[in-house]
Amino acid sequence: MRRTKTLLAATMAGICLAACAPGETEDEAAEGPTGDVEVDFASFEGETLDYIYFTDGPDEQVTRDLIADFEEETGASVNLQVLPYDDLEVSLQARLSGDNVPDVARLTTITPFSDELLDLTRFFGDEYPEEFLPGQVGAVTGAEGEMLAVPSDLTMNGPFVNVEQFREAGVDLPDPDDPWTVEEMVAAAEEVQAATGTEFALAIDKSGHRVSTLLSQFGTTLLDEDGVALDAGAAEEAVGLLVELMETDAMSGDFWLQSGSRYEGANEIFAAEEVPVYLAGNWMVAEFAESVQFEWAVAPNPCAERCGGFPGGKFMAAFERSDNPELAAAFVQWMNRTEQQERLVGEALFLPTRQDLVSQGIDYPQRGPDMEVFLADVKRTPEDTYESNAHPAFGATADYLAEEISETLAEEQDVATAVEDTIAEAEELVEDAQ
Amino acid sequence: MSRTTTEQPARRRGRHGGIKGRRLAPYLFVAPNMLIFGLFTIWPALNGFNISFYDSDDGRTFSFVGTDNYTDILGEDEFWEVVRNTLTFVVAFVAFTTVAAIALSLLLNAQLRGRGILRAAYFLPVLISPIVVGLIWNWALERQVGLVNTVLEAVGLGQPGWLLDPQLAMGSTVLVGLWTHVGFFALILLAGLQAIDPNLNEAAGLDGASAWQRTRHVTLPLLKPTTFVVVILATITGFQAFDFIYTLTGGGPVGATTLIVQNIYEQAFVSPIEYGLASAASVLLFIVIFGVTFANYLFARRADAT
Repeated sequence: MRRTKTLLAATMAGICLAACAPGETEDEAAEGPTGDVEVDFASFEGETLDYIYFTDGPDEQVTRDLIADFEEETGASVNLQVLPYDDLEVSLQARLSGDNVPDVARLTTITPFSDELLDLTRFFGDEYPEEFLPGQVGAVTGAEGEMLAVPSDLTMNGPFVNVEQFREAGVDLPDPDDPWTVEEMVAAAEEVQAATGTEFALAIDKSGHRVSTLLSQFGTTLLDEDGVALDAGAAEEAVGLLVELMETDAMSGDFWLQSGSRYEGANEIFAAEEVPVYLAGNWMVAEFAESVQFEWAVAPNPCAERCGGFPGGKFMAAFERSDNPELAAAFVQWMNRTEQQERLVGEALFLPTRQDLVSQGIDYPQRGPDMEVFLADVKRTPEDTYESNAHPAFGATADYLAEEISETLAEEQDVATAVEDTIAEAEELVEDAQ
Repeated sequence: MSRTTTEQPARRRGRHGGIKGRRLAPYLFVAPNMLIFGLFTIWPALNGFNISFYDSDDGRTFSFVGTDNYTDILGEDEFWEVVRNTLTFVVAFVAFTTVAAIALSLLLNAQLRGRGILRAAYFLPVLISPIVVGLIWNWALERQVGLVNTVLEAVGLGQPGWLLDPQLAMGSTVLVGLWTHVGFFALILLAGLQAIDPNLNEAAGLDGASAWQRTRHVTLPLLKPTTFVVVILATITGFQAFDFIYTLTGGGPVGATTLIVQNIYEQAFVSPIEYGLASAASVLLFIVIFGVTFANYLFARRADAT
């Protein structure tokens, strides 16, 4: 009996101890310094900052080289901490909740951290955002118009083609200045499939972000500044085409269904020469340049109602609770100056986000013509795609669309229901995000 | 003389620590372990229970929502679908794994040539990382080029979608779970079998009982306590299954193999993050596992008493 009482008392004590707000209440959330700050790059001698980073592969070495130059120029030292991409958000959240705040981080979205990020215009002026592409600046603009990060590189979705298979099949590739229509692309891919005996005609990553390219080409986007923007008719055409291609084995339905709720890249299908056309994005250029043995090229995005691809990108942000916010902001600004970004995107085969670099072009040391195709597509890509990608609810809505396509493929519903459900879910997600 | 009489009790106290010392000693022995257990298991569990009453999407700011997370979860169709999947998996996994483990342990207990090699072979999957198990079987069960379907196709049995058809996917998941864990449970049962007095079987044999009758009426009843341990462990393992399923099917196709732990993981770590909902679902899972384990325990006690 006494033992039971002791156990009960210990449990109650534990619960009482735990039963207090497990962190800050919303009212207690940190408020950062306000007012304009003059940045003196000569004042950082002997100071240190932590930079949380994930790598796409080819960018890591050039980033390390740039950091070395920054250290030499300012006398500060940068502690680069490379994390696996999958752990990035949770690790950062854990560090922030444990008051172990890093100074700078590379991010794919600022949404989960927006209340923790420094407004860079406080350090570099209200004109600073104008140095970057307006669409990408939209993705880093806070509710009060703050610039919460710098768009450090732009990504653009687009198709890769197996040139050898096209040549063998006697099928012409499109002119970079005169893109295919979507129908022409599918017909060409199916002709190559028939002639060369590849397993499939086309492949696409299992990702709502990639499907958004097709949505845009058919004239719609998931979201825009005002919320849900998906046009049911256009979406049914785009999703219907995708489902039809998988049902007729022009695309692999197994690939889409077999990965469950996980993201799955189709790059291995393309690399194994099982498919002549692969819809991915410019981040694959460096990997294919290194690992693929056959002749391949980037084709311009096809047109339907509209042309162009779908954007994405990476961002560099400084944290408000950093021990040295001035150094953190300075580092972000320095790493994204014209000279530094030109070096990064050139060596890593990325696309620039700076207006001056987009205008003057980049002299890529390898795969230049392929990168030029992506750059041309940047100019053809509609503005509303940037708004869609920048919306805080975009990631979850795009994931939901991918799941709805899975259910359609498994014959649990039709295309119209998939689109209708996506619109309903998007409305809820937009409301939650606000 | 007086020196001797005064020193002896002192030495005895030093050696045994007296009554107080003897009472304290067990606590001191378990203290390091309990400290680690308390710090890394009990404290986080209590915190998780606490977080289940808050809403948080970043782990930094929390707003108190009372029992809303529980009512939200219990009101979601998706949650009940996950519960159905979990119960289907647990029942099938526990039943098949227990039967297979008993059969395997009886086989391994027999005087077979190469018994040691067989024991090692059946135990081997236990040593493989569950993530790797999932990947291996994902490749082996792939519809068009997987090992299993290549063999089936060669003998004219077609190419079933082991991981693509919802019913087959659940069956495949149970079988992969069985393959992974049966060696461990068989080992526990083997220890139970070897603790049974061989004279009892021998006596039954002398009375004319066949091998099956000896197994049915002597061995299996005496193995009951160990079997209950295996059932309890298999139940807990079944409810907690996640890692190998995540790499095998990713919870698909269309959620057919999404179990409760994957659902919790996705609530907590996949955007949009909902720590409160994930904690509430974890508390519900704890209650179910605790309830089932306790029921098993009571059932085992009653069976022992009769």
